[in-house]
Amino acid sequence: MLWKLSPLGAVSGVAIGAALVSAPIQVQAKIYVSVEQAQQLLFPSKTFTLTPFVISEDYQEQMRKASSVRQPFVGNRIWRTNDGGWVIVDQVVGKHEMITYALGIKVDGSVQGIEIMEYVESYGYEVADMRWRKQFEGKKTTDTLKLNADIQNISGATLSCKHLTDGVKRLLVFHALVLKNYSAK
Amino acid sequence: MLGENYCIRIKLFFAIGFLMAITNAYAGEGAFGWIYTLDLQPKGTLEFEQRLQRNRQQATGTYDVTLSRTELEYGLTHDIQIAGYVNSYATNINQNYTNCDGGRSTCTAGFPVPASYDAASPYQKSGIDGISLELIYRLTNPVTSPIGIGFYIEPTFGKLKNELETRLLLQSNFLDDRLVVASNLVFANEQLKYLGNGNTPESMFDVLLGASYRFAPKWFAGLEARWHHDFGSYNLRDQTQKAFFYGPNVHYAEKEWWATAAWRYQPKGNSCMGDGTAECSDARVWDSHSRNELMFKFGFPINHP
Repeated sequence: MLWKLSPLGAVSGVAIGAALVSAPIQVQAKIYVSVEQAQQLLFPSKTFTLTPFVISEDYQEQMRKASSVRQPFVGNRIWRTNDGGWVIVDQVVGKHEMITYALGIKVDGSVQGIEIMEYVESYGYEVADMRWRKQFEGKKTTDTLKLNADIQNISGATLSCKHLTDGVKRLLVFHALVLKNYSAK
Repeated sequence: MLGENYCIRIKLFFAIGFLMAITNAYAGEGAFGWIYTLDLQPKGTLEFEQRLQRNRQQATGTYDVTLSRTELEYGLTHDIQIAGYVNSYATNINQNYTNCDGGRSTCTAGFPVPASYDAASPYQKSGIDGISLELIYRLTNPVTSPIGIGFYIEPTFGKLKNELETRLLLQSNFLDDRLVVASNLVFANEQLKYLGNGNTPESMFDVLLGASYRFAPKWFAGLEARWHHDFGSYNLRDQTQKAFFYGPNVHYAEKEWWATAAWRYQPKGNSCMGDGTAECSDARVWDSHSRNELMFKFGFPINHP
């Protein structure tokens, strides 16, 4: 038997073993924030009323054009606060899985804050850092909301930063199209 | 019997690799089998990657060559990735050519059988070939630019050959970055050591093109193709082969590991010219090429910044 597993297998085996033994894998923990936690983080001490919306194709198209997010928006996780603010739970595409986040919008249509609710990617956990999320506070639908323009990118987390930024833009457009009028009723 | 043992050992090797992958690993990866993308390691992160390519079946007889690359990738900056490989090989080759010298109907030949080897005997050999180093520089990121552009350079030092490979990496993303279209323009000069006096020049130009779509969370699938040109001298002079390959790929990624499997098939319609005509038959090209090329690779992170 001339063919031997050892040279080919040994190199791989030794390298794999060395990688595993000498440098234990340090993978970030998943981020999980419940809806209730996100609501309280965004609007402490407020009460919330579930206010779902069926989004028409026309609105979906207007939101897509404004934000470039192609994933349809599902309007079944929208809550109105007792003072007219809004909490919207949305999902955008992550590298491997969907990123779930909550956006708080004040009565005047500006961003109260953003909470990352579920993030299970290998890299890019920096999007949950307050310093990055704080950039969205006070933004309105009239703002550019573009990565590397008025929202700074995090190198190494570019895809997540881009999709979350586009997602926030989409929800602000949704507010301008639908929620603002609802609030005015 | 030898063939059966070889097959069992190869399957065992793949199985061990897969089991190690599913019990230990991660993501930060390429969705393609052969095409490099601009998805680089973030700064300060280190990833282990194991790549196994199995080339099977030439004109006749047995051609079964497994090439292994055991790799560590490191993000030097967010746009520069460096890597080092250990390259290994295992061969089981016997009477695989029909265009033979000396009036033989079949003979043992092709990569990496030495020209001086007895063409009537099986060639079975395995071992560590050498090392490769790699550097990728990303000029533009396809996530934020319409076209991502990168440059790749990879010197290889081996017992079978030395090689300097360069690539222009191009990538565009669509549909919320779920559809990745990528192309590599590959140019390489090679010094073949297993032929002639150990200093046989060759060069190569390839165009690789593929698309991969994320059809479900964690799952990508696509197609990739290779338009290949081999030359008998350095710097793309004296062309000896041109060939087309294509096939599917599938990629799965968890937070802690990823794996990719791909298959490239060589259809009829390919050709050889000049000094390379002995390495063609049945409208297909041989040497280091085969009818079927199978790729399996997996990776996992070793650290985070």
